[in-house]
Amino acid sequence: MTIPLKQSHILIVDDFQGMRTMLREFVKAMGVTKIDTASTSKEAINLLSANKYDVVICDYNLGPGQNGQQILEEAKLRKFIGYSTIWIMVTAEKTMDMVMGAAETKPDDYLLKPINEAMLEGRLEKLIAKKQSLSDIEKAVNAQDYLAAIASCDQLMKTQPANLQDLLRIKSDLLLMVGDYDTAKALFDKILAVRSVPWARTGVGKIYFHTNEYLHAKEIFQEVLEENPMYMEASDWLSKTLDALGDREQAQQVLQKAMELSPNSPVRQKSLAEAAYKNGDLDIAQTAYEKTIKLSEHSVHKSPTAFSGLAKVHNDKGVPEEALKVLERGKVEFKDNTEAALQAAVLESMAYQKMGQKDKAEAAIAAAEKLVGSLAGKVSADVTMDMAKSLFQMGEKDKACGLLQSVVKNNHENAEIISLVSAVFQGEQLGEEGENLIKESKQEVININNQGVVLAREGKFEEAVKLLRSAVQTLPNSEVMIMNLCGMLIGLMKKQGKDDRLMYETKNLLGRVREFNPANKKYFEYLNVLNQIKATK
Amino acid sequence: MPEENISFTDLIASSIHDMKNSLNMQISALEKIAIQCRQNGDTPTFEKLGIMIYEANRMNANLIQLLSLYKLGKSIYPIDISEQSVREVIDEAILQDKSIMDFKGISLEVECDESCYWYFDRDLLAGVLINALNTAYKYTSDKIRVTARIDGGVLEIRVEDNGQGYPPSMLRNDSVTANKGINFSSGSTGLGFYFSSRVAVMHKNGANQGSLIIENGGAYGGGCFVVRLP
Repeated sequence: MTIPLKQSHILIVDDFQGMRTMLREFVKAMGVTKIDTASTSKEAINLLSANKYDVVICDYNLGPGQNGQQILEEAKLRKFIGYSTIWIMVTAEKTMDMVMGAAETKPDDYLLKPINEAMLEGRLEKLIAKKQSLSDIEKAVNAQDYLAAIASCDQLMKTQPANLQDLLRIKSDLLLMVGDYDTAKALFDKILAVRSVPWARTGVGKIYFHTNEYLHAKEIFQEVLEENPMYMEASDWLSKTLDALGDREQAQQVLQKAMELSPNSPVRQKSLAEAAYKNGDLDIAQTAYEKTIKLSEHSVHKSPTAFSGLAKVHNDKGVPEEALKVLERGKVEFKDNTEAALQAAVLESMAYQKMGQKDKAEAAIAAAEKLVGSLAGKVSADVTMDMAKSLFQMGEKDKACGLLQSVVKNNHENAEIISLVSAVFQGEQLGEEGENLIKESKQEVININNQGVVLAREGKFEEAVKLLRSAVQTLPNSEVMIMNLCGMLIGLMKKQGKDDRLMYETKNLLGRVREFNPANKKYFEYLNVLNQIKATK
Repeated sequence: MPEENISFTDLIASSIHDMKNSLNMQISALEKIAIQCRQNGDTPTFEKLGIMIYEANRMNANLIQLLSLYKLGKSIYPIDISEQSVREVIDEAILQDKSIMDFKGISLEVECDESCYWYFDRDLLAGVLINALNTAYKYTSDKIRVTARIDGGVLEIRVEDNGQGYPPSMLRNDSVTANKGINFSSGSTGLGFYFSSRVAVMHKNGANQGSLIIENGGAYGGGCFVVRLP
């Protein structure tokens, strides 16, 4: 926010008439004239969609429907508020979900009741000043120019030592994002030399995780949790690390413990459900999926995979009737979502087979095949594998094998997915045949990539781009292939100079990779090169 | 909502939420009436209102302490120890009690560097300070002084008054005796002190932990409430 408090447009959200009036009087007394109020989340969302607010003062607990956090998440996701908006959450007590919530959707500040005018004014003035001082960084982050954002941090550390702690934290996050682990490590070590600060230690753990030193990472996250049992971020990372180490039982235990402390996070509940399902712990998976669905009812985190996950649990438990009920509910929730419809159709076919209703099962799989067509092949590996399983059961072996081959081709370097595919083959007593198919499919992709590399080495970037573009068309989910294409496009631009169309194509491809793997290691590297190319004349 | 889905924590939390809304409005309305009384020169009513506001503030502080203690006991308090501006926390605690100090004609002095930053849970320490100010309000004649400084890797915050000092039964210099001093007959349940020493002890750095000391003396020779955080 770059305008002074008096001229700002303020929205007050509280379900309690008395509090609304009181807060309105407070800001009025500060000289603010543009004030709107809302008593329900619905009203708030309507106002937020129609106006650009500088400040939102929102009660956390709004009775039935969305809570303050969910309104904030929705407003941010739908871009009703920008980085310059100041969001203050008013609450009677601090809860775990507030402190340990997702960092990207944290409000700018919390105010614990009782609130008086002087306190509110003091906080507002401070937040406005802070927003202003960090605006350069936020602008650079919004433009995805992370190197510029880091440079801004360094600059501000010199000119605004009062914000040093915030700046160090922002800078370390940015360094981790762009994969500059050496600088990040040096920064964390400097902080840790003075005091054991949980976020900095967790940061060191993240570096080990990203550099595949999982045992080291595990040790650090465990130590952080020993000192700070309620530091949920370390707990999330510990379970991730254990999963990467193949210790799924422990990963699940860590999540279960976290759930006791922070039971209202739908994202965490879903991780637990998925971990428990992988471990065959169907009862826990069922409860966690049910909670996920309930908790995300009013949230932007609402996801069809929670419904399909729960349906899978019911199918595995031998109660396909329940699975069908859940799928029906999901269909109502996600009426216009093709991917959700596909997941539902695949699981329906499985449920009907269990019930011995062959006709209905075949109809469902036919519907699923049609939906795959309309998604231009952009279907997740999980759904594709489920579909293959269903087709095997119907005796459609060729179709099933074809699907599994496409999964392998799209994920030829992903050991976890490959092992899942191989497990499906083994489940159908096709172990040996399956291994051969996997090998063949992998080789096919490797050959294309090798061809591309040879062309690039010879400086024939145009040809390489052509080759990989067609490969990406047939393998729209192959992270490796898309990244290689990006590399070729960048090579081409370096050779021929900046080109807006190629730039646009590359950015789009990178965006897609980020969608299915936010942790892709080359993503930021390429993005930075793109920004450098953009800056050239 | 089906009964088995109601957790006791959620129930007290939502009740406290509701009670705090009411208190917040009550305090704000009383403050408004008090200002009017002062403008009209109605000093007796003005002073009576001061007492009412003080009691409402105390109730609010007690509610939040009870809820925090309950959560600390069940290990579900979201403790968040991070670097914070000491001056800001002191200023905000004082703002909450400012109107009652004004009513009683108490002058408040703060000695804390703007650049003084330390590691603590902001909300818990604010609760401790508000409790200290409420106690000092009760025991002081007309002066309260809050000082904060970092010395030898420890933050020391002192809340001192110029009253008669604390009665002997309340003094404690053995620092970690969090359970001492619940005395229903004196009207002091010791909740505030219990809460404050629990909070102090929870702040640890390496092998050191925080402490709370209640003593007499200080700059004014009255009561001193001393929190030390490593």
